Amino acid sequence: MVDPQNCRDEELVVLCQQGRSECFEPLVRRYMQKAFHIAFGFTRDTESAKDLSQDAFLRAFSRIKQFDGRASFYTWFYRILINLCLDHARRSGKVTWQSLDDLSEKSNEQRQLADSRFRPEQEAIAGEASRRASETLQAMPNKQRTAFLLRNDQGLSIADVAKVMKTTEGTVRVYLHRAVAALRQSLVEFV
Amino acid sequence: MKKKSPLSGACRNYEEDLVLYYYAESSVAESQRVERHLSECMTCRRFVDDLRGLLPQLAKSQDLPQTFWDSYYRETVAKLRERDERNNWWRNLIAPMKTWLVPTFGTAAVAVLVLGLFYGKISVPSFTDGSSAKLPSEIIADTNQLEFFRSLDMLESLSQIEVPDGGGMKPKSDRSSLSRIEQTTA
Repeated sequence: MVDPQNCRDEELVVLCQQGRSECFEPLVRRYMQKAFHIAFGFTRDTESAKDLSQDAFLRAFSRIKQFDGRASFYTWFYRILINLCLDHARRSGKVTWQSLDDLSEKSNEQRQLADSRFRPEQEAIAGEASRRASETLQAMPNKQRTAFLLRNDQGLSIADVAKVMKTTEGTVRVYLHRAVAALRQSLVEFV
Repeated sequence: MKKKSPLSGACRNYEEDLVLYYYAESSVAESQRVERHLSECMTCRRFVDDLRGLLPQLAKSQDLPQTFWDSYYRETVAKLRERDERNNWWRNLIAPMKTWLVPTFGTAAVAVLVLGLFYGKISVPSFTDGSSAKLPSEIIADTNQLEFFRSLDMLESLSQIEVPDGGGMKPKSDRSSLSRIEQTTA
Protein backbone atom coordinates (compact mmCIF):
# COMPACT_ATOMS: atom_id res chain seq x y z
CA MET A 1 0.00 0.00 0.00
CA VAL A 2 1.51 3.32 -1.13
CA ASP A 3 1.72 6.03 1.53
CA PRO A 4 0.59 9.30 -0.08
CA GLN A 5 2.72 11.33 2.33
CA ASN A 6 5.87 9.90 0.75
CA CYS A 7 4.80 10.29 -2.86
CA ARG A 8 6.11 12.90 -5.24
CA ASP A 9 3.75 15.57 -6.54
CA GLU A 10 3.31 13.87 -9.91
CA GLU A 11 2.50 10.53 -8.28
CA LEU A 12 -0.13 12.13 -6.06
CA VAL A 13 -1.67 13.85 -9.09
CA VAL A 14 -1.92 10.53 -10.93
CA LEU A 15 -3.59 8.91 -7.92
CA CYS A 16 -6.08 11.79 -7.72
CA GLN A 17 -6.85 11.44 -11.41
CA GLN A 18 -7.56 7.75 -10.80
CA GLY A 19 -10.22 8.68 -8.26
CA ARG A 20 -8.31 8.70 -5.00
CA SER A 21 -9.36 12.16 -3.91
CA GLU A 22 -7.69 11.86 -0.51
CA CYS A 23 -4.31 11.98 -2.28
CA PHE A 24 -4.78 15.68 -2.89
CA GLU A 25 -4.52 16.42 0.84
CA PRO A 26 -0.73 15.96 1.05
CA LEU A 27 -0.41 18.52 -1.76
CA VAL A 28 -2.36 21.00 0.37
CA ARG A 29 -0.02 20.35 3.28
CA ARG A 30 3.05 20.92 1.08
CA TYR A 31 1.98 24.14 -0.60
CA MET A 32 -0.44 25.86 1.76
CA GLN A 33 2.14 28.19 3.29
CA LYS A 34 3.59 29.23 -0.04
CA ALA A 35 0.13 29.70 -1.51
CA PHE A 36 -0.94 31.80 1.43
CA HIS A 37 2.15 34.02 1.21
CA ILE A 38 1.67 34.66 -2.48
CA ALA A 39 -1.95 35.59 -1.91
CA PHE A 40 -0.93 37.79 1.01
CA GLY A 41 1.57 39.56 -1.22
CA PHE A 42 -1.34 40.59 -3.45
CA THR A 43 -4.00 41.28 -0.86
CA ARG A 44 -1.98 42.33 2.22
CA ASP A 45 -4.88 40.94 4.25
CA THR A 46 -4.84 37.63 6.15
CA GLU A 47 -8.46 36.63 5.63
CA SER A 48 -8.44 37.50 1.94
CA ALA A 49 -5.17 35.64 1.48
CA LYS A 50 -6.62 32.58 3.20
CA ASP A 51 -9.77 32.66 1.07
CA LEU A 52 -7.88 33.15 -2.18
CA SER A 53 -5.33 30.43 -1.50
CA GLN A 54 -8.05 27.97 -0.44
CA ASP A 55 -10.03 28.81 -3.58
CA ALA A 56 -6.91 28.03 -5.58
CA PHE A 57 -6.69 24.58 -3.98
CA LEU A 58 -10.36 23.93 -4.68
CA ARG A 59 -9.98 25.01 -8.28
CA ALA A 60 -6.90 22.86 -8.76
CA PHE A 61 -8.74 19.90 -7.22
CA SER A 62 -11.71 20.39 -9.56
CA ARG A 63 -9.42 20.56 -12.58
CA ILE A 64 -6.98 17.86 -11.57
CA LYS A 65 -8.03 15.61 -14.45
CA GLN A 66 -7.10 18.36 -16.90
CA PHE A 67 -3.52 18.44 -15.64
CA ASP A 68 -1.47 16.84 -18.39
CA GLY A 69 1.90 16.73 -16.66
CA ARG A 70 3.76 18.90 -19.17
CA ALA A 71 4.57 21.44 -16.44
CA SER A 72 5.29 20.59 -12.82
CA PHE A 73 2.36 20.54 -10.44
CA TYR A 74 3.47 23.59 -8.48
CA THR A 75 3.94 25.64 -11.68
CA TRP A 76 0.43 24.70 -12.78
CA PHE A 77 -0.97 25.38 -9.32
CA TYR A 78 0.81 28.73 -8.97
CA ARG A 79 -0.66 29.79 -12.30
CA ILE A 80 -4.15 29.09 -10.99
CA LEU A 81 -3.37 31.00 -7.78
CA ILE A 82 -1.84 33.99 -9.55
CA ASN A 83 -4.86 34.30 -11.86
CA LEU A 84 -7.17 34.30 -8.85
CA CYS A 85 -5.02 36.92 -7.13
CA LEU A 86 -4.96 39.12 -10.21
CA ASP A 87 -8.75 38.85 -10.58
CA HIS A 88 -9.10 39.77 -6.93
CA ALA A 89 -6.75 42.73 -7.36
CA ARG A 90 -8.72 44.01 -10.34
CA ARG A 91 -12.04 43.67 -8.52
CA SER A 92 -11.02 45.22 -5.22
CA GLY A 93 -8.20 47.70 -5.84
CA LYS A 94 -9.78 50.44 -3.66
CA VAL A 95 -10.59 48.01 -0.87
CA THR A 96 -6.92 47.05 -0.73
CA TRP A 97 -5.92 50.68 -0.20
CA GLN A 98 -8.44 51.08 2.62
CA SER A 99 -7.17 48.02 4.41
CA LEU A 100 -3.60 49.31 4.44
CA ASP A 101 -4.34 51.35 7.58
CA ASP A 102 -4.94 48.10 9.46
CA LEU A 103 -2.06 46.26 7.86
CA SER A 104 0.76 47.42 10.13
CA GLU A 105 -1.24 46.62 13.27
CA LYS A 106 -2.08 43.13 12.06
CA SER A 107 1.52 42.55 10.99
CA ASN A 108 2.72 43.64 14.41
CA GLU A 109 0.33 41.32 16.23
CA GLN A 110 1.38 38.38 14.13
CA ARG A 111 5.07 39.10 14.70
CA GLN A 112 4.50 39.32 18.42
CA LEU A 113 2.89 35.88 18.37
CA ALA A 114 6.11 34.56 16.91
CA ASP A 115 8.62 36.61 18.91
CA SER A 116 7.69 38.18 22.22
CA ARG A 117 11.07 39.94 22.43
CA PHE A 118 10.20 42.35 19.61
CA ARG A 119 11.08 45.91 20.78
CA PRO A 120 8.57 48.71 20.28
CA GLU A 121 10.97 50.92 18.31
CA GLN A 122 11.82 48.23 15.86
CA GLU A 123 8.18 47.37 15.74
CA ALA A 124 7.25 50.92 14.71
CA ILE A 125 9.91 51.14 12.03
CA ALA A 126 9.12 47.70 10.71
CA GLY A 127 5.45 48.61 10.65
CA GLU A 128 6.13 51.75 8.68
CA ALA A 129 8.40 49.91 6.27
CA SER A 130 5.77 47.26 5.81
CA ARG A 131 3.21 49.93 5.04
CA ARG A 132 5.49 51.56 2.49
CA ALA A 133 6.26 48.21 0.91
CA SER A 134 2.58 47.39 0.68
CA GLU A 135 1.79 50.72 -0.90
CA THR A 136 4.59 50.34 -3.42
CA LEU A 137 3.62 46.78 -4.27
CA GLN A 138 -0.01 47.70 -4.74
CA ALA A 139 0.89 50.68 -6.89
CA MET A 140 3.08 48.78 -9.34
CA PRO A 141 1.69 46.93 -12.38
CA ASN A 142 0.33 43.45 -11.71
CA LYS A 143 2.98 41.66 -13.74
CA GLN A 144 5.84 43.39 -11.95
CA ARG A 145 4.28 42.56 -8.60
CA THR A 146 3.70 38.95 -9.65
CA ALA A 147 7.28 38.50 -10.83
CA PHE A 148 8.64 40.03 -7.63
CA LEU A 149 6.47 37.95 -5.28
CA LEU A 150 7.24 34.71 -7.05
CA ARG A 151 10.98 35.34 -7.17
CA ASN A 152 11.56 37.13 -3.88
CA ASP A 153 8.94 35.61 -1.58
CA GLN A 154 8.59 32.15 -3.07
CA GLY A 155 12.13 31.62 -4.24
CA LEU A 156 11.12 30.43 -7.69
CA SER A 157 13.83 30.67 -10.32
CA ILE A 158 13.34 33.15 -13.13
CA ALA A 159 12.78 30.22 -15.48
CA ASP A 160 9.96 28.92 -13.28
CA VAL A 161 8.49 32.40 -12.88
CA ALA A 162 8.43 32.67 -16.67
CA LYS A 163 6.53 29.35 -16.88
CA VAL A 164 3.99 30.44 -14.29
CA MET A 165 3.47 33.80 -15.97
CA LYS A 166 3.58 32.28 -19.46
CA THR A 167 6.18 34.72 -20.68
CA THR A 168 9.89 34.79 -21.47
CA GLU A 169 12.74 34.87 -18.99
CA GLY A 170 13.93 38.16 -20.44
CA THR A 171 10.55 39.73 -19.72
CA VAL A 172 10.60 38.40 -16.16
CA ARG A 173 14.05 39.93 -15.64
CA VAL A 174 12.72 43.31 -16.74
CA TYR A 175 9.69 43.04 -14.42
CA LEU A 176 11.88 41.99 -11.52
CA HIS A 177 14.34 44.79 -12.05
CA ARG A 178 11.62 47.42 -12.18
CA ALA A 179 9.87 46.04 -9.10
CA VAL A 180 13.07 45.94 -7.07
CA ALA A 181 14.06 49.43 -8.16
CA ALA A 182 10.65 50.79 -7.14
CA LEU A 183 10.73 49.08 -3.76
CA ARG A 184 14.24 50.14 -3.04
CA GLN A 185 13.41 53.71 -3.93
CA SER A 186 10.47 53.76 -1.51
CA LEU A 187 12.26 51.94 1.33
CA VAL A 188 15.86 53.08 1.05
CA GLU A 189 15.59 55.13 4.25
CA PHE A 190 14.70 51.98 6.16
CA VAL A 191 17.61 49.90 4.94
CA MET B 1 16.02 48.22 10.52
CA LYS B 2 17.20 51.79 11.21
CA LYS B 3 16.69 55.02 9.33
CA LYS B 4 19.46 56.21 7.05
CA SER B 5 19.78 59.03 4.60
CA PRO B 6 18.71 58.17 1.05
CA LEU B 7 21.46 56.88 -1.22
CA SER B 8 21.84 57.31 -4.94
CA GLY B 9 20.95 54.48 -7.27
CA ALA B 10 23.35 52.16 -9.05
CA CYS B 11 25.07 52.88 -12.34
CA ARG B 12 22.33 52.87 -14.96
CA ASN B 13 24.06 50.28 -17.15
CA TYR B 14 24.49 47.88 -14.27
CA GLU B 15 21.31 48.21 -12.24
CA GLU B 16 19.43 45.30 -13.83
CA ASP B 17 22.55 43.15 -13.74
CA LEU B 18 22.97 43.92 -10.05
CA VAL B 19 19.42 42.76 -9.29
CA LEU B 20 20.06 39.48 -11.12
CA TYR B 21 23.40 39.17 -9.38
CA TYR B 22 21.71 39.56 -6.01
CA TYR B 23 19.24 36.78 -6.91
CA ALA B 24 22.07 34.59 -8.27
CA GLU B 25 20.39 34.50 -11.65
CA SER B 26 23.38 35.73 -13.66
CA SER B 27 25.50 33.55 -15.86
CA VAL B 28 29.12 32.96 -14.88
CA ALA B 29 30.40 35.52 -17.36
CA GLU B 30 27.88 38.11 -16.22
CA SER B 31 28.69 37.50 -12.56
CA GLN B 32 32.37 38.02 -13.22
CA ARG B 33 31.66 41.24 -15.09
CA VAL B 34 29.50 42.52 -12.23
CA GLU B 35 32.08 41.59 -9.59
CA ARG B 36 34.77 43.43 -11.50
CA HIS B 37 32.57 46.50 -11.58
CA LEU B 38 31.66 46.20 -7.90
CA SER B 39 35.32 46.18 -7.01
CA GLU B 40 35.60 49.60 -8.66
CA CYS B 41 32.23 51.26 -7.89
CA MET B 42 31.19 52.09 -4.32
CA THR B 43 27.74 53.27 -5.38
CA CYS B 44 26.88 49.93 -6.90
CA ARG B 45 28.29 48.12 -3.87
CA ARG B 46 25.94 50.11 -1.64
CA PHE B 47 23.10 49.30 -3.99
CA VAL B 48 23.70 45.57 -3.61
CA ASP B 49 24.07 45.97 0.18
CA ASP B 50 20.71 47.77 0.23
CA LEU B 51 19.11 44.88 -1.59
CA ARG B 52 20.61 42.39 0.86
CA GLY B 53 19.21 44.35 3.79
CA LEU B 54 15.82 45.09 2.28
CA LEU B 55 14.53 42.24 0.16
CA PRO B 56 14.73 39.41 2.73
CA GLN B 57 12.70 41.56 5.11
CA LEU B 58 9.94 41.83 2.52
CA ALA B 59 9.99 38.07 1.99
CA LYS B 60 9.34 37.14 5.61
CA SER B 61 6.28 39.31 6.07
CA GLN B 62 4.20 36.65 7.79
CA ASP B 63 5.32 34.61 10.82
CA LEU B 64 2.11 32.84 11.68
CA PRO B 65 1.76 30.31 14.51
CA GLN B 66 1.33 26.58 13.91
CA THR B 67 -2.26 26.74 15.18
CA PHE B 68 -3.09 29.00 12.25
CA TRP B 69 -1.69 26.47 9.77
CA ASP B 70 -3.42 23.54 11.45
CA SER B 71 -6.72 25.37 11.24
CA TYR B 72 -6.03 26.39 7.63
CA TYR B 73 -5.31 22.79 6.67
CA ARG B 74 -8.43 21.42 8.38
CA GLU B 75 -10.65 24.02 6.73
CA THR B 76 -9.18 23.39 3.28
CA VAL B 77 -9.52 19.62 3.55
CA ALA B 78 -13.13 19.98 4.73
CA LYS B 79 -13.92 22.16 1.72
CA LEU B 80 -12.25 19.66 -0.61
CA ARG B 81 -14.26 16.76 0.78
CA GLU B 82 -17.47 18.72 0.48
CA ARG B 83 -16.64 19.53 -3.13
CA ASP B 84 -15.84 15.89 -3.82
CA GLU B 85 -19.14 14.71 -2.36
CA ARG B 86 -21.06 17.31 -4.35
CA ASN B 87 -19.39 16.29 -7.61
CA ASN B 88 -20.01 12.59 -7.02
CA TRP B 89 -23.55 12.62 -5.60
CA TRP B 90 -24.77 10.37 -8.40
CA ARG B 91 -22.29 7.68 -7.42
CA ASN B 92 -23.70 7.68 -3.90
CA LEU B 93 -27.17 7.38 -5.39
CA ILE B 94 -26.55 4.26 -7.48
CA ALA B 95 -24.12 2.57 -5.08
CA PRO B 96 -26.87 0.57 -3.27
CA MET B 97 -28.29 -0.55 -6.62
CA LYS B 98 -25.05 -1.97 -7.94
CA THR B 99 -25.67 -5.51 -6.61
CA TRP B 100 -28.91 -6.02 -8.54
CA LEU B 101 -28.63 -3.44 -11.32
CA VAL B 102 -26.83 -5.60 -13.89
CA PRO B 103 -28.95 -8.75 -13.45
CA THR B 104 -32.14 -6.66 -13.65
CA PHE B 105 -31.12 -4.96 -16.86
CA GLY B 106 -29.96 -8.25 -18.31
CA THR B 107 -33.25 -9.97 -17.57
CA ALA B 108 -35.23 -7.05 -18.97
CA ALA B 109 -33.18 -7.06 -22.16
CA VAL B 110 -33.75 -10.80 -22.68
CA ALA B 111 -37.50 -10.42 -22.06
CA VAL B 112 -37.78 -7.61 -24.59
CA LEU B 113 -35.90 -9.71 -27.16
CA VAL B 114 -38.14 -12.75 -26.62
CA LEU B 115 -41.33 -10.73 -26.83
CA GLY B 116 -40.15 -9.03 -29.95
CA LEU B 117 -39.39 -12.31 -31.67
CA PHE B 118 -42.69 -13.85 -30.53
CA TYR B 119 -44.89 -11.10 -31.82
CA GLY B 120 -42.87 -10.72 -34.94
CA LYS B 121 -43.29 -14.43 -35.87
CA ILE B 122 -47.11 -14.48 -35.51
CA SER B 123 -47.71 -11.42 -37.61
CA VAL B 124 -45.77 -12.55 -40.71
CA PRO B 125 -47.97 -15.47 -41.96
CA SER B 126 -51.29 -13.61 -41.41
CA PHE B 127 -50.04 -10.76 -43.47
CA THR B 128 -49.09 -13.05 -46.34
CA ASP B 129 -52.44 -14.96 -46.39
CA GLY B 130 -54.57 -11.90 -46.05
CA SER B 131 -53.07 -10.11 -48.99
CA SER B 132 -54.62 -12.34 -51.67
CA ALA B 133 -57.98 -12.68 -49.88
CA LYS B 134 -58.42 -8.91 -49.80
CA LEU B 135 -58.16 -8.51 -53.56
CA PRO B 136 -61.52 -8.50 -55.46
CA SER B 137 -62.15 -11.65 -57.47
CA GLU B 138 -62.69 -9.66 -60.65
CA ILE B 139 -59.11 -8.50 -60.62
CA ILE B 140 -57.61 -11.95 -60.28
CA ALA B 141 -56.65 -12.97 -63.76
CA ASP B 142 -57.55 -16.40 -65.20
CA THR B 143 -55.16 -17.66 -67.79
CA ASN B 144 -57.79 -19.25 -70.00
CA GLN B 145 -59.94 -16.16 -70.12
CA LEU B 146 -56.93 -14.05 -71.07
CA GLU B 147 -56.31 -16.29 -74.10
CA PHE B 148 -59.95 -15.94 -75.18
CA PHE B 149 -59.81 -12.17 -74.98
CA ARG B 150 -56.57 -12.10 -76.92
CA SER B 151 -58.18 -14.07 -79.79
CA LEU B 152 -61.11 -11.66 -79.89
CA ASP B 153 -58.69 -8.72 -80.14
CA MET B 154 -56.90 -10.39 -83.02
CA LEU B 155 -60.14 -11.02 -84.89
CA GLU B 156 -61.25 -7.46 -84.45
CA SER B 157 -58.02 -6.14 -85.81
CA LEU B 158 -58.21 -8.45 -88.84
CA SER B 159 -61.77 -7.33 -89.74
CA GLN B 160 -60.63 -3.74 -89.85
CA ILE B 161 -57.98 -4.56 -92.48
CA GLU B 162 -60.47 -6.33 -94.98
CA VAL B 163 -61.54 -4.28 -98.22
CA PRO B 164 -65.33 -3.56 -98.37
CA ASP B 165 -67.45 -5.09 -101.46
CA GLY B 166 -69.40 -2.73 -103.82
CA GLY B 167 -70.39 0.88 -103.23
CA GLY B 168 -70.81 0.71 -99.67
CA MET B 169 -68.14 1.31 -97.15
CA LYS B 170 -69.99 -0.89 -94.84
CA PRO B 171 -67.56 -3.31 -93.51
CA LYS B 172 -68.25 -6.97 -93.74
CA SER B 173 -66.06 -7.58 -90.70
CA ASP B 174 -68.91 -8.53 -88.46
CA ARG B 175 -70.20 -11.33 -90.72
CA SER B 176 -66.78 -12.62 -91.68
CA SER B 177 -65.44 -12.62 -88.14
CA LEU B 178 -68.56 -14.42 -86.92
CA SER B 179 -68.16 -17.12 -89.54
CA ARG B 180 -64.50 -17.63 -88.57
CA ILE B 181 -65.46 -17.94 -84.95
CA GLU B 182 -68.04 -20.54 -85.83
CA GLN B 183 -65.40 -22.43 -87.80
CA THR B 184 -62.96 -22.15 -84.91
CA THR B 185 -65.43 -23.38 -82.33
CA ALA B 186 -66.56 -26.24 -84.61
